[in-house]
Amino acid sequence: MTAIRVLHVDDEADVRVVVEVSLGLDPEFRTRACASGADALVMAADWSPSLILLDVMMPLMDGPATLVNLRHDPRTAHIPVLFLTARTQTHQIEHFISLGAQGVLSKPFDAMTLAALVRSHLSISAGEHAF
Amino acid sequence: MIKAILLVEDSPADARLLREMLNEQSSYNAELTHVDCMSAAEKYLAERSVDIILLDPGLPDAQGLGAIRRAHAAAPRVPLVVLTGLDDESLAEQALQEGAQDYLIKGQIETRGILRALRYATERKRLEWLKDEFVSTVSHELRTPLTSIAGSLGLLMGNAAGDLPAPMARLLAIAHTNSQRLVRLVNDILDIEKMEAGRVVFNFKRVEVRSLVEQAIEANRGFAEGYGVRIRLEDVLTAVADVRADPDRLLQVVTNLLSNAIKFSPRDNEVVVAIGKGIDIVRVTVRDHGPGIPLDFKPLIFEKFAQADARDARQKGGSGLGLSIAKQIADRLSGEVGFTDAVGGGTIFHVELPCWHHVAGLAIDRDAKPDAPRLLLCEDDLDTALTLREQLKQIGFATDFAYTIHDALICAVATRYRAILVDLQLPDGDGISLIVRLRELPQYRDTSIIVVSADPSRGRDDLRSSKLNVLDWLNKPVDLGRLMRMLAKPGVRDANRRPRILHVDEDQVVARALSEIADVVTVNSIEDARRALKAGDFDLAVLDVTLDKAASPDLLPELRDSSGNAIPVVIFSAERANTAENAHEQAALAKSHSSIDSLVATVRDRLASRSASLSGETV
Repeated sequence: MTAIRVLHVDDEADVRVVVEVSLGLDPEFRTRACASGADALVMAADWSPSLILLDVMMPLMDGPATLVNLRHDPRTAHIPVLFLTARTQTHQIEHFISLGAQGVLSKPFDAMTLAALVRSHLSISAGEHAF
Repeated sequence: MIKAILLVEDSPADARLLREMLNEQSSYNAELTHVDCMSAAEKYLAERSVDIILLDPGLPDAQGLGAIRRAHAAAPRVPLVVLTGLDDESLAEQALQEGAQDYLIKGQIETRGILRALRYATERKRLEWLKDEFVSTVSHELRTPLTSIAGSLGLLMGNAAGDLPAPMARLLAIAHTNSQRLVRLVNDILDIEKMEAGRVVFNFKRVEVRSLVEQAIEANRGFAEGYGVRIRLEDVLTAVADVRADPDRLLQVVTNLLSNAIKFSPRDNEVVVAIGKGIDIVRVTVRDHGPGIPLDFKPLIFEKFAQADARDARQKGGSGLGLSIAKQIADRLSGEVGFTDAVGGGTIFHVELPCWHHVAGLAIDRDAKPDAPRLLLCEDDLDTALTLREQLKQIGFATDFAYTIHDALICAVATRYRAILVDLQLPDGDGISLIVRLRELPQYRDTSIIVVSADPSRGRDDLRSSKLNVLDWLNKPVDLGRLMRMLAKPGVRDANRRPRILHVDEDQVVARALSEIADVVTVNSIEDARRALKAGDFDLAVLDVTLDKAASPDLLPELRDSSGNAIPVVIFSAERANTAENAHEQAALAKSHSSIDSLVATVRDRLASRSASLSGETV
């Protein structure tokens, strides 16, 4: 049984705690968190997570900019990214997907089912890679 | 402070008048730039910023609401004042709904009136913008702390931090429920704001109502349990009830009706959901056993923040927005919501939507003349499609609809279309893949295909670089003038079609004689002639110069088709006017000396030589 490694990027410390506890309900999840896009680039390259949960509105380097940088680095280009955002308008979702995001989850999320939601996106992305 | 005004007006006289009126006011030193069509306005707005736009929505390249939408899209933050005719009050009203800040009625404008309209429009726009920004920012700012609060409470309630002692669990349950309520409230406010700003995109597809209703019931079961209410789907056997809708948005309508019914039901009661089917509609009803709606509140029920009793909002835990949102969505889905008192107490709310087969039945244009050239419009929005069909009918085309790529290919094989209009966003795939597949069919290898897109940038380069041979590109809302010019290109109309003659004369006998050999548009003023020239191409003009001796010579150089080619002119007047030096004039006959038969012979001769020269030009 291999662990599912999730890197969570969010500038709000409280949200980082809630996500960590939520994902921790699933024993297979290992979660690490960081507070900025710049940290995320370094951690993603070092740790090679199975998936990155990325906040959209962050100072300096926002979520979409972080995603573009992740895609440019061969070490992180393949890692599926899910956005976690307080603004979910259809045209924004389309924009995120066009940047190469796996999907978009909205805030506030249901903390009891977040892990299952992340899992379902992981299995979709695994299915895609199989082809 | 208004420094730069953009005036979009195709009448030089009206533009001059407006400029003079503004110059009259010495205190006013704004710079006025005048352009005479929408494409020039769009080009200008892309490069320069202006403080306000004055728009005449009757332009050669954009009319009515289409013109207003394009101006709004080109400069969403710039206030817009529409110049309308006396008889155009309804357009003025729609203009305000489409985002214009004010309108001025031509012929009733005086200087101080314009200045006031410009100032008020600017202020109104500023406030609207502030409100939109405020609502959207506040909602977002509220969601961030709510994420932590609702998330933490949810985890505690789910025993993620261990079992809770009973009194603590009770208090946490209150906090949890109310955090959920706050989330719903914020979502509702955002939804209504997006809807009113027209920022919601609907993705229409075929939706099976029963499973959607079951999904809504499942999603609301927990909520109902909180109120001690059961939800029951009345098990009446119905035929397949498919509608044409956006499933996510329809789910929201049914959910809102359900949660409303749940909130107003007494404890230990049930909410009954049923699905009914009419000839061309499907109706979902939601019955509660609540107190019913007071008579004086009935007209207000779909208003925002409406609650029959001010205390209700707190007691029932609603935002007062749910029904208003349901109504707005239903309108956009070409459906409706409503309610009736239930026999034995309580209320029955319903949502009605056009059933799939009804919409599918509209797909073939049965009203058109049997010999009309037929177009295929691949477009998933029914309202857009119906509007375009109506407009195309005016210029003699029949229009069939296809809502999906699948339907489009079936139609294209069954009927040989003269041209195909393709929306790039179709429910079952990308319009480009449809074009690729159409081009693989031998009968559509060279057929005109026109792309219609809501997003000006998307796919354009793909299409340019590819060998798909797309005739042209139209942005939504469709500019009818441009579309008409595209459809006027060779090969779109029947090659053996009857020629079109513009007849500028009051003489009905002449009109009847000409109609033997051509389609004749008879106008009896120079103004109407100009209008007719804008609306379509002609192969020849027959002109009585004595109709308006002063203006007729001015008209002659304007007799051109949309590509700019001169239209041959036959002068048929009681007396010879001084137009001999005009190059377009091909023949002049005097009414007193020539019979109508000789006019018809001359016209036939000129038409024949024109069609010969045109086919020689065609590559």
